[in-house]
Amino acid sequence: MVMPDFTYVRPDTLTDACALAARLGRDGAFIAGGTELIPDFHRARESARHLIALDHLAELRGIAADGDGLCIGALTTVAEVAASPLVRARFVALADAARAIGSAQIRSLATIGGNFCRAVSCADTPPAAIAGEARVRLAGVSGTRELAAEAFFLGARRTALAPGEVMVAITLPAQPASSGTSYQRFSRRKGAALAVAAVAARVTLAGGRIAGARIVLGAVSPAPLLVTLASAMLVNERPSATLFAGAAEQCADEALPITDVRGSADFRRELVRVLARRALDEAAARAAEWRS
Amino acid sequence: MSGEVLVRLNINGEDRSLALAPNTTLLAALRQHLGLTGTKKGCGTGDCGACTVQVDGQPVNSCLMLAVAAQGKRITTIEGLSHDGELHPLQQSFVKHGAVQCGYCTSGALMASKALIERNATPSHDEIKEALAGNLCRCATYPRMLKAVAGWKEFEGQPLDAKPHAHAERDQQRDHDVVGHGVTRYDSPDKVTGRAKYTADIQLPDTVVGKILGSPIAHGLLKRIDVSKARALPGVLAVITGADVPDEWYGVSPAREDEQILAKERVRYVGDEVAAVAAVDEATAERALALIEVEYEELPAVFDPVSAMAPGAPVIHPEKPRYAGNINTRVDWHFGDVERGFAEADLVREERFVGNRTYQSPMEPHAALARWEHHGDRLTLWSSTQTPHYLHRSLSRVLGVPMGNIRVIRPAVGGGFGAKAEATPLDFCAAILSKMTGRPVAMEYTREEMYRHFRGRHKQYIDLKIGLKKDGTITAAEHKVVLDGGAYTSYGVITAYYAGSMLPTLYKIPNYKYEGTRVYTNLPASGAFRGHGVPQPRFAFESLLDMMAGELGIDPFEIRLRNAMEPNTRTGNALDVSSCEFIATLERARATSGWAEKKGKLPWGKGIGVGCGGFVSGAGYPIYRSDFPHSNAMIRVHEDGTGVTLHIAASEIGQGSDTVLVQIAAEELGVPYEWVWMADCDTTISPLDLGSYSSRVTLMGGNAVKMAAQNVTAQLREVAARELGCDPAALTARDGRIFVKEHPSVGIDWADAARLAFSRKGPVVGTGSYSPPKKLGGEFRGGTVGTSPAYSFSTAVAEVTVDVETGYVTVDRFTDYSDAGTVINPVTLHGQVEGAIIMGLGEMLLEDTVVGANGAFVNANLHDYLVPTICETPEIHTAAVESFEPRGPFGAKEIGEGSMLPVFGAIANAIHDACGVRVTELPITPEKILRGLKERVAAGAPAGARA
Repeated sequence: MVMPDFTYVRPDTLTDACALAARLGRDGAFIAGGTELIPDFHRARESARHLIALDHLAELRGIAADGDGLCIGALTTVAEVAASPLVRARFVALADAARAIGSAQIRSLATIGGNFCRAVSCADTPPAAIAGEARVRLAGVSGTRELAAEAFFLGARRTALAPGEVMVAITLPAQPASSGTSYQRFSRRKGAALAVAAVAARVTLAGGRIAGARIVLGAVSPAPLLVTLASAMLVNERPSATLFAGAAEQCADEALPITDVRGSADFRRELVRVLARRALDEAAARAAEWRS
Repeated sequence: MSGEVLVRLNINGEDRSLALAPNTTLLAALRQHLGLTGTKKGCGTGDCGACTVQVDGQPVNSCLMLAVAAQGKRITTIEGLSHDGELHPLQQSFVKHGAVQCGYCTSGALMASKALIERNATPSHDEIKEALAGNLCRCATYPRMLKAVAGWKEFEGQPLDAKPHAHAERDQQRDHDVVGHGVTRYDSPDKVTGRAKYTADIQLPDTVVGKILGSPIAHGLLKRIDVSKARALPGVLAVITGADVPDEWYGVSPAREDEQILAKERVRYVGDEVAAVAAVDEATAERALALIEVEYEELPAVFDPVSAMAPGAPVIHPEKPRYAGNINTRVDWHFGDVERGFAEADLVREERFVGNRTYQSPMEPHAALARWEHHGDRLTLWSSTQTPHYLHRSLSRVLGVPMGNIRVIRPAVGGGFGAKAEATPLDFCAAILSKMTGRPVAMEYTREEMYRHFRGRHKQYIDLKIGLKKDGTITAAEHKVVLDGGAYTSYGVITAYYAGSMLPTLYKIPNYKYEGTRVYTNLPASGAFRGHGVPQPRFAFESLLDMMAGELGIDPFEIRLRNAMEPNTRTGNALDVSSCEFIATLERARATSGWAEKKGKLPWGKGIGVGCGGFVSGAGYPIYRSDFPHSNAMIRVHEDGTGVTLHIAASEIGQGSDTVLVQIAAEELGVPYEWVWMADCDTTISPLDLGSYSSRVTLMGGNAVKMAAQNVTAQLREVAARELGCDPAALTARDGRIFVKEHPSVGIDWADAARLAFSRKGPVVGTGSYSPPKKLGGEFRGGTVGTSPAYSFSTAVAEVTVDVETGYVTVDRFTDYSDAGTVINPVTLHGQVEGAIIMGLGEMLLEDTVVGANGAFVNANLHDYLVPTICETPEIHTAAVESFEPRGPFGAKEIGEGSMLPVFGAIANAIHDACGVRVTELPITPEKILRGLKERVAAGAPAGARA
C-alpha cells in the first residue's frame, strides 16, 4: 500500500520536538530510523498525519562511557551499537543483540531508541538491556525522567511514553564485578530473521557461588519478561548443569508464548528451556573470566 | 492533502533538487523522479535488499528511507558505481565469477558489497555473509557472490572482456571454441551496471498506473458493484469490473479454461480479481480501489482438498458440471501388474507423505505495461513473462485481437521459476485499461499480491507403496496423490500428470500404478514450479527407498545402483530414455562425498544422505495442440560481416539461456562469442519459441539456433568456395575464418565472405526450427506428459548438522553430479545447480504458505515466508559427468529444473542419518524434528545416539 500523506517536520531542539509532539497527540509520530514506522504505514498499522523527525537532535546520538557504565543515545544506530568496542567490552549481550537485528541495511538505519519505542514483542535489544539493569531516560514537555527499562515496556507496541515524550538515552550502570552476560536467540533462518524466542542473562559470581542473576525472555510474551522466580532460584547456589537446567525449566514455566506463523507456543517454551540454559552457561563462563 | 517540499539530494556526486511529497521514499525518488531504475523494488518493506543504496557510505534499504530524510547526505546508487566507463572491480568480479543470474538482486547486492569493502577490503566469507544477509537472491547465486566479493581485488585495473575467469570450472573436454567454455554471461555487463531494463523500469511518457481490487473473501457471489465514487475521484481515468471484460474463459491449459479476467458472478479465493482502475498515480489508484463498493453473498469455503472432495462440500465451479465434487483432474494409470509385483516382493512398505505449498517468490514482482498504437488497433505489451508465446496467444484469444496485431515484448525478467509462465490479470487489465484511456498503462504486483496470484507449488498428499526383493530390486510401486489445486487450473492438469509420469524415469519400476487427483479449493491457484509436480513425489520415493534399504540392510547407494535407469530404455509408462549416465552420477557422488567413511559414522547430530532426480529436457508436446515447431530462430549477418544478430523469442529469465544460445550460434557460425548480438525478445522481431518452462531452451532453442547458424554458414561457404576455387563441402568456419579443412592456411576472413555475400545477393539470413520427434509417448490418456527428446539425471549427497536441542538444521555440504549431456557453459551450469540446491533446501526446511482462518496466506511477505539467505549457503561441490545426447545441440540436455529434484531426498535422508528422525511432512521444521526426537525415545530408541 502507498503510504498516506503526512507532513514532515525536523525540530532543531528537543524542547521543540516534545512541544510539537504534545500538541499533535495521536496525529503525530516521531521518526528515527523509520525501519518499523514505514512498513507500519504500508500495512495501515500506523496512521500519524505528521512525522516529527529527530535527526537534527545531535544530543540524542552517540555512545559514551558513563563512569564504568554506558550511555547510549536513543538515535544511535543499531549498527553503531553492534560495532562499538565500548559496548562489546562493557556489555557484550547488548552488542550481540544489536548485531542480531535484521540485516546490515536495517541496522544502519534502525536506532536503539526505535527498537525500544516501537516495542515489538520480538525486539532484540530490550531483553539484553534489561538483563544489565538498563534505565531509559525520557524527555517531555514537563522535563526529563528515568525509569528502569523493564518498567518502560507495558505490552506489545505499548510503552510508558507519555504523549509528547521522547526517549533520549538508554543507560547501563557499571556491571557488577565477576558478572557475565549472554544473549541467545533462535530464529528460523540464519540470515536476517526475527527471533522466535530469545533469552538474555546476567550472572554474577562471588566466592564460587552465584551472587545474583537476571534472566530476561524475549519474543515469548507481549513485552520483555524479567523472570524473577527463575533468577531467584540461582542465588547463593554453585553454578552447575543441574542448577541451570532447573532454572531454565522455570523460565519455560514463566514464559507467556503465543502460537503464530513463526512457531507454536509449545515450541517456544521448549526453545526458552534450551536458550536459557545456554545463556546461563555462557554468562557464568564469562563471569568466571571476569577481568576488571 | 499535504504539499510537496523541496528536497536536495546528492546523488552519485551530483546535487539534485526535487519537489517531493514528504511520503516519497528514497527508492521512489530515485526510480520515478530521477529515472535511476538500476535500484530495484522487490518488496517495499525492507526484507529483500534489492533497493540497497549507500547513504553516507552505509548500506540502507532505500524503500525504508524517506527522501526528505536523505537530504544533505551522500547517496550512491548502482549507476554511480562505475566511473569513466570502467566497471568497478566488484562489478567485474560479479561478472567473472558468474554471480549474476536474473540480475534483479544484483544492484542491491553490489551496493551492500561496496559498503562492506569500504570498511574491510579483505572480508572473510563470514563477514560477507553478515553484510549480505539482507540481500535475497532467489536464483541463489550466493556461492558465487561469496567468491566475487572475497576476490574483488583481483579485478582492480582489469578491463572487462567475455573470457572465462581463470578459475572457471570445466567438466568436460571437447574440441569447441565457444561451446563448453565458461564465457561470461551475455547479459551480465548490463545487469551489474543497472542498465538492464525490467518491465517496471520502462518509463513511457504519459503513462498511467493500473491497480486491481481483489476479493476480501474466499468464496462468494457478487451481488452489487458500485464504482461511481471511484470514477468520480479526480485523477481516475478508468474503472472496470467483470461487466467490462470479455466473457471468454481462459487458462494456460486449454483442457481446463476456468478463469476470467475479472470476476463476473463469483469469487473463489481471497484476492480473486473483481475490479481494476487506471489513475494518474499509484496513490490515486489505491484510493480509487478503496472507493469501489462491492456487496458479496458470502458462501462456505473449503481450504483443503480432502474436505473439498467430501460430500456436501461447497462447489467451487458450479457452472461447469465436469468439475463435480471439485475434482479438477483425475489420472488413472496402471502399467504392468502391481498386485503381482507386490506379491513377488520380499518387503512391501507404504507411507504417507505431505508436501508444502511453496511459492517461487521471484525477486522481480510481476509487471505489465500496455500501449495501443496505429489506429488504436495494435497492442504492444511489455511483460515480465517466461512464456511470451502463451501470453501472446492468450491475449489474442481473450481480447479478440489477431496475434498479428499484438506485439509482446519480454524485457529482462527477474526470475520466474514457473511463477510467470502464463498470462496474468495484470497483462489483460493493462491492455484493456490502456485501450480505454488511450494512454500507456503500467501495472505491477506488490509482494503480497504476488502471493495472492500465486501459481506456486501444489501441496501434495502422497500415499506411496513400494515392493522390493531382498537384494533391493524394485518389483512394484503404487503412487496415489491428491493435489491441492486452489481455485483455478493454471498448469495443474499437467502437474497432476507429471507427479506420476516422472517416477519411472529414474529407476526401473516393472509394475507401476498411479492415481492422481487434482482438487479445487478456495485458495490461490497452484501452478508449475521448478521441477513441476515432481519434487514432492521424488522426495517421497527417495525417502521411502532409504527407509526400506535400512530395513533390508542395503546401503542407500547400492539400492539405487541396483535399480538405476540405463541408456536407451523405454520406461514402463512408455517414455524413451536415450542418453543416460545416471550410474556415473551415483558413482562419482559416492566417491567425492566420502560416503563410505561417513554414512552412519558421523557423530550424533551430524548426518549424510543421498537423493537422486532427473527431468525432461523440454516437453515433447506444447501445452495446446499445434503443429508449429517449438523453437524457431533466425540469424541475420550484419552487412559488413563484423557481427550477427540472433533472433529467437526465447525467455532469458535468469537461467542463462541467452548466453547458451549465443554460444551455440557463435560455435556453429565459427565466429567469436562477442560477435553475436541477441535481439530483443519481441514478437515483431523474433520468431516463436514456446518459452522457459519444462527446462526446454538449451535443447530445443539450441537446436533451432544451431540450424539457423548452419544455414548461414552454408551460404557463406558457398561464397568462400567460389573465391577459393574449391568445393564448399571442403570448407569449415572457425574463429572468424572460413578455410579448407585439410589446409587451414587456405581461407578467407569470415567477414569478407559475409560482405561478398551481401554484395551479391543482399541480406544474409539463416533460419532454423526445432520440433521434437513425432509420436513420443504412449497411446493412453496423458501419455504425452513426461515425454521429452532427452532426460537429465543427477545425484546429490547432503551433509547436515541437526541441533538436537532446538531441532535446527544446518546444511553443511552438498556434492552433486549431473548428467546434463554436453555442458554448453560450465559456469552457468554450476550456477543453476547451486541455485537449485539452495532453493531446494529452502523448500525442505523453511518454506510454506500458511493459510489463515479466512483463506488468505498469513505470511504473504518476505519476513515470514522465509527463503534462504546467503547465510544458509552450504559448501557445494558440483560437476557434470561425461555424457552426450544425440538429440541435443552439441550433445546438450537440461539442467535448470532437474537439479532441484535430488535435493529434497538428500536432505531428508541426511537428517534421518543425523538424528534418527524421519519427517514425512514438509517443510522439515525444527518443531517437527523435536517432536520426532521425543517420539523416537518414547519408542525405545536410545536418547542421544543412533539405534
